Amino acid sequence: MNPATIGLIAVAVVFFIDVILLTGLVSLKAVHRRRRRIHAARRAEYVTVLSRHLAFQHHTDPFGTNIADDDAFLDAVIDLRNIVSGTEIDNLTGIIDRSGLAKRQEARLRSRFPLGRRLRAAVSLAEMGDESSAPVLIEHLDDREPEIRIQCARGLGRIQHTSAIDPILERFGFEQPWVRARFADTLVGFGTKATWPLVAYIRVNLGHDQNQGVIEAIRVLGTIGDQEVGPTLAGVLRVASDPEVAIATIDALGVVGGPLAIRPLKYTFRHPDWRLRAKSATALAQIGDPSINPVLAEGLEDENWWVRRNSAAALAILPGGTDLLLKAIESEAPFAADAATEALADSGELAAARARFEAGEANHGDRVLLGYVTAQEAVPK
Amino acid sequence: MIFDALRWVGYATLVYFILMQTYLIWLGMRSAAVMRRVHHLDRFGRVSDMLSSQTSPPVSIVIPAYNEEAGIVDSVRSMSIVGYPRFEIVVTNDGSTDDTLQVMIDAFHLEKVRIPYRPDIPTAEVRGIYRGHGSVDITVIDKANAGRADALNAGINAARYPYALCTDADVILDANCLVGAMRRVVEDRVRTIAVGGNIRPLNGSRVQLGHLIKAEVPKKLVPRMQVLEYVRTFLASRPAWSGMEALPLVSGAFGVWKRSAVIAVGGFTSGHMGEDMDLTMRLHRYHIDNSIPYRIVYEPSAVIWTEVPETLRVLRRQRIRWHRGLMTAVKDFMPMTFNPKYGKVGMVTWAAMFLFEYVAPIVEFVGWITIPVALILGALNTTSLVILLALAFGVGLLNSLIALLLDETYGYFNSKADTARLIVMVLIENFGLRQITVAWRIRAIIGGKETRAWGNMERKGVANLGAGA
Repeated sequence: MNPATIGLIAVAVVFFIDVILLTGLVSLKAVHRRRRRIHAARRAEYVTVLSRHLAFQHHTDPFGTNIADDDAFLDAVIDLRNIVSGTEIDNLTGIIDRSGLAKRQEARLRSRFPLGRRLRAAVSLAEMGDESSAPVLIEHLDDREPEIRIQCARGLGRIQHTSAIDPILERFGFEQPWVRARFADTLVGFGTKATWPLVAYIRVNLGHDQNQGVIEAIRVLGTIGDQEVGPTLAGVLRVASDPEVAIATIDALGVVGGPLAIRPLKYTFRHPDWRLRAKSATALAQIGDPSINPVLAEGLEDENWWVRRNSAAALAILPGGTDLLLKAIESEAPFAADAATEALADSGELAAARARFEAGEANHGDRVLLGYVTAQEAVPK
Repeated sequence: MIFDALRWVGYATLVYFILMQTYLIWLGMRSAAVMRRVHHLDRFGRVSDMLSSQTSPPVSIVIPAYNEEAGIVDSVRSMSIVGYPRFEIVVTNDGSTDDTLQVMIDAFHLEKVRIPYRPDIPTAEVRGIYRGHGSVDITVIDKANAGRADALNAGINAARYPYALCTDADVILDANCLVGAMRRVVEDRVRTIAVGGNIRPLNGSRVQLGHLIKAEVPKKLVPRMQVLEYVRTFLASRPAWSGMEALPLVSGAFGVWKRSAVIAVGGFTSGHMGEDMDLTMRLHRYHIDNSIPYRIVYEPSAVIWTEVPETLRVLRRQRIRWHRGLMTAVKDFMPMTFNPKYGKVGMVTWAAMFLFEYVAPIVEFVGWITIPVALILGALNTTSLVILLALAFGVGLLNSLIALLLDETYGYFNSKADTARLIVMVLIENFGLRQITVAWRIRAIIGGKETRAWGNMERKGVANLGAGA
């Protein structure tokens, strides 16, 4: 075969593929357009029919036998599941059961379909929140696809299936960070029901190789905000050798620690690691006890900018803290004065002082603050 | 002798073009796998759950502004409602000669504050820092004019959060763009140092109150050509590069950067015409040289919309600037090119950047001259030439069609008119428009005073787009 013939064949093949792709593109756009229009119309119809039907308890439904295969019906059910309440949820659950919708999605999730369909099935099960799907959702916490694992955990959280807490926690330590973060969101959704399993998880795994899991578990405890765990977290802070674990614990103690957390936090406020000192300042402010003000005032002269900044921000929100910030401005320490001024500007105190000054009602503190700001000529080089 | 040389140069040019297009098709195929996943996650993945998550790291949105008096307030307002749990906005007024600063002071009730400015990255003189006390968490840095890179550096210095989204004042952020980009950070917080986003032309689309209402293909030829180019670049190349963790460029219009990493390499290079590419490559070099594990990735679902040039005159200036930026970067990072020490960056992506972006206009230009001469002198066989030209056109078409098919992930441009406009563009872009852009790049290579100027973009402003584009 001569080169020209080979070339012509190559050209023919390339143009053939071009034509196929071009036809595919035009058809795909047309199909998408049509499918979207039809799907939206059918979904709206289903929502209308279902809305009427949900108001009363029925034992039969006005749908055909293969309704579970219709994606528009599935979307309509999910739409309604997110807005109905009370007995309507029970009626909707009845429809889901009778139509076989949940079973259909479970079958899809178990199938060898590509990711898209299986993910859609997992999301649908999570959205429908049907208690009977819990075993399948737990089974797929081990799915090969991370997004499906996330959706299964989310579904279990939505139906508040408490026996799923332990299986979720079991995977905490070795999951990918993204999945672990979403699992953490689910556990937060369980609220105080997850508190003690989380505490047990932390106790068992602290000091072992699953520090990322422990850190996330501590964060979850902080977000749940159950004050019962304050002493446990204080204990964790005492023994934590990993600074990341200590930082997460300090954060959580700020939320749940209460007065009992002040002592361990005062200790970490003087820790050699500046990150721990900076976090402790913020946590102490969250606890909100003004007796800590003198300790935080020491932080204004810390060698680290973040510690000074967080200490000043803490004082700005604590009762009596503003006086200490103004005292810092009058002091000889220039960095402390800078940190104090920034905190007072952020808290709105600077603007208020300016307003009082303009109204002729400025007090001594206002004059100190405005005098410092004016004297410093805006911004350092 | 000359006869033979002409013939071989002519054939070599065409073969080079086919090779380049084949490489792009290969990238397109690789991108397809990434995009397939993005498609599923976008439809079903509920990434927006991150909005209520306690694990979402906070972000500083850094916006450089130079003479943006007309649109800066709308832009900041539009960005202030982007879907993300915790973020601040840092605007750097880069010595504007108009009232950019004053309009921001008035709109956001800014207060000049005396706070420490940490010049972690050296910048031009900072004249003042302003903070807002309204609903928008905004800090404005007022500094002497020193260009976009310097303004970004000042913004990064003043940013309070560990990640900085560096963007422009004239873009529209998609509601979920930050969630999409930060998802990649949460996936691997230790290694992820930069995430690039998907930039799309806004011209011709319907915009209301700083928000995109409906994406449409522009009627004008110049912006329409750029729609196709952006789709090819951001959907058929970058996902593949990102999949290899060897992204050579995080675009300046949307890049989430880890502050500590940017500070470690000294920030954006002032005066560089391709400061985004320069920073990306310096980050690669720094981390590889120091054996620090890292990754720089691209997230196609992090979509932002930007105004692109509407006239050939403005487009010419932009393309010359881009190519000058590329030339500087190629010179600076030459030791990394085809260097196995730099792994896939050195051997694949940056090498391809050199071969198919930097060298391409030269080869193509040589082809324009040699092929007609060779044809006139009878050095080229007309049949072979026609076959190679047809092949080059066919393969180029293939590349564009793959990109448009990938674009179906988003479902934009679905009307019949939009489809027709795109297809017409695919068919005609190789006849004239492509050659013009090559000529501009050659102009950039020749150099001269004109090519060193940054030039004005002559924007309509986000709020005025859509009409007549």
